Formats: sequence, structure tokens, C-alpha cells
Amino acid sequence: MGERAESQHERQRAEPRGLHLVGQDVYADWEAVYRDNVGRIHRLMYAKVGNRPDAEDLTTEVFLTALKPLRVTASVGEVRSYLLATARTVLAEYWRRTLGRAVTTLDEELGISTPEPVPENPIAPARAAAILAALPERYRRILELRFLGACSLREAADEMGVTVGNAKVLQHRALRQAATVAEGMLS
Amino acid sequence: MKTPAWRYVEDLLAGRKPRPFKASEDEAAEVRAAILLRSEQDSGEPSEEFVAALRDRLADELAEQPAPSTGGRRRFVKITTAAAAAAAAGAVIDHALITQTAAAPEKQNLVPDNGEWRAVVASTDLPDGSVRPFDLGAVTGFLRRRGGEVSAVSAICTHLGCRLRLDAPERKLNCPCHRTSFNVDGSLAEHELPVAPAPLPSLLVRESGGHVEVFVPPPA
Repeated sequence: MGERAESQHERQRAEPRGLHLVGQDVYADWEAVYRDNVGRIHRLMYAKVGNRPDAEDLTTEVFLTALKPLRVTASVGEVRSYLLATARTVLAEYWRRTLGRAVTTLDEELGISTPEPVPENPIAPARAAAILAALPERYRRILELRFLGACSLREAADEMGVTVGNAKVLQHRALRQAATVAEGMLS
Repeated sequence: MKTPAWRYVEDLLAGRKPRPFKASEDEAAEVRAAILLRSEQDSGEPSEEFVAALRDRLADELAEQPAPSTGGRRRFVKITTAAAAAAAAGAVIDHALITQTAAAPEKQNLVPDNGEWRAVVASTDLPDGSVRPFDLGAVTGFLRRRGGEVSAVSAICTHLGCRLRLDAPERKLNCPCHRTSFNVDGSLAEHELPVAPAPLPSLLVRESGGHVEVFVPPPA
């Protein structure tokens, strides 16, 4: 089949560069793979590490790792799940290297990936809201101020009428409790 | 209470790259909760700069692949669905021809057009295996002796020109600006930049009269 493809291409005019996705099923070349997937992989990584510098590094690593050996004999869905599998490994290695624990994984995403596009950050917003809702008022408030309101620690402390030291303790405890709530939701 | 976990969360909130630490299970859970809350605030859409820079880097990387047999690069994209392949192949070949873009940055030597040898340190103060910073005004760098040989590299980061700091125990030269680091031989160790910065240029260095000397531009 590959040979047939090779012989057929000679009759074809060169495509204009920039738009390579052909039909519904296959990518034309690595750029098409890249353009179609870079946003998805980056969003996934961001949802898993929570900061852009690392999300960019990990996205870079995924494509550097995955593109070289990639043969685009595969369907779009297969390419996507291959990238996702690579992303999963890259993320696991990242946590092993940085905190020594699998803080987040791409396991759930892997199960529901093919051949549909990966749902992007599918559960985070709903889950974050649910976690916040489950916290005591002051815990919820400090986390809202800091995580959703982009307040500095001092601003959050002022807003809540407490000292910076208190705000710090509050944030620490609130996060711990949020972690417990999150754990409960998972199981 | 500035625990590593606290710092980690503050880095997340500030959008900085957080620092690694050995996390307990509780700390990992805390970080996980912080990531969950944090990622709600941002869809995580990559910046255009990042997408463009990574695309260029991939083009370079793929172009650098050895192509020993015929069509080594072309082999990268082989499509089996005949109809799709027929439409796509033209573009594939087209691409294979145009990805020979800029080569990776190469190491350079910094040699002034005219200059003078300036003593930096007594030879005895640079024992084998050691690394020492020096500052001669116009030229700052790091001297190193290895296997008896003295060499020197520039102390200026090749990214944006920040001055590197020596981390002697790790034998790394760290950039304070973007967490780039170089090995003491000038090669790139780590970076978080979209495009890898060039290795540090070497400086001309010699030993004379019991001193290590560096070749520098004449005073203005």
C-alpha cells in the first residue's frame, strides 16, 4: 500500500504549504500532526502541572520524543493516542524527577481518548468548584482570593481582616483540606 | 513556615516554574489540589510564541536526523491510506526539501582583534579540577583546570546576556534570569527556553610566569 501511495504522489501537484490535513483520517505530515495537537497537549499538561513554564517544557518533550519515530501511517485517532501515551510517560517522568511522587497522571484521559479528540481539561472546573463548595467558609474564601482572585497573600489577608501570618496558615490548612476533599471525590 | 511545598504553591500562583523537592504524600496532595484550583483559571492555551518556536525547533530537529539511506527523511511520513496519501504526498516531499533551516547554534571562541595577555590568578591557585570565576572588566569568565590543561569560558549567558554564577558543588554555571545552566566546559546543561541557547564561547588562555593569563581587549 505504501508503494502504491509513493507511485501515486507523482501525479499529484504539490499542496500549498500550511494546510495539510487531508480527509478525515490521516495527517499529511509532521506539521499537520503538530498543528492539530500542540494546543491539546499543552492544555492537558497545563491542567496537570498548573504552570506554563513546565507545561511548555513538557509539551516540547512530548513532540521531540514522539515526532521522530512517528510514521504517519496511522489514523488521526491513532496518532493522537500515541501522542497521549507519550504525554503520559513524559508527565510520569516529570513527577518522578521533581517531587518523587505521581502528583497527577494522564491515566484517566488515556482510557477515553481514541479515536475521539481528548476532552480538554474535562473535569477540572467542575471539580474545583465542587471542592471549594465543600470547604468551610474561611477556607473557601482564602482559596478563592488567592487562586481565583489572583490576590497576593497580603491582599487576601487584608480582604479577610487577618494578619499575613494568619492568612498563610489559613491557606495552608485550606489546601490540605481541599486535598482531602479531592481525594474523597476520586474514590 | 516557608516550606518547600509552600514555595511550590506560591510559584504556581505566580506563574513561575516551581522548584522540585522531595514531597511527602500530604504535600503531594496539597500540590495536587493547588494545581487543580490553579488550572481552572486558565484554559492552558499555548502562547503563539511558544507554538511558533517549538515548530521551528522541531523542524530543526527533524532536519538533523541522519538520512543514510535514500529518502531517510521522507520515510518519516509514509501514508498507507492510498487516497489520502495521493493527495498528501506532494506536500510531504515539498516539506522534506524545505526543512533544512538554520543549524543549531555552535560554540565559538572569543578572540579580540588585538589585545593583551592579562594575569588572572596564580597557577597554584587553580589546582586540577577547580573552577574559578574572574572579572577583568571587559571580559568576565570562568577558568578551569582539567588534566593539567587550563581553559576558560565566558561568564555571560548566551541567551540575554545575564551574568552566570558558579555553582561549585554542582559544577554548573547558572543564569539568574531564566534558570538556564551551563556545564563548566561551556556546554549547555539545562534550559527552559523555547530554543536552546548556544554554548558559552571559549576565551584564549595560557599559563605564563606562574600565572594563568587570559587574552583580553586592550583598555579603551
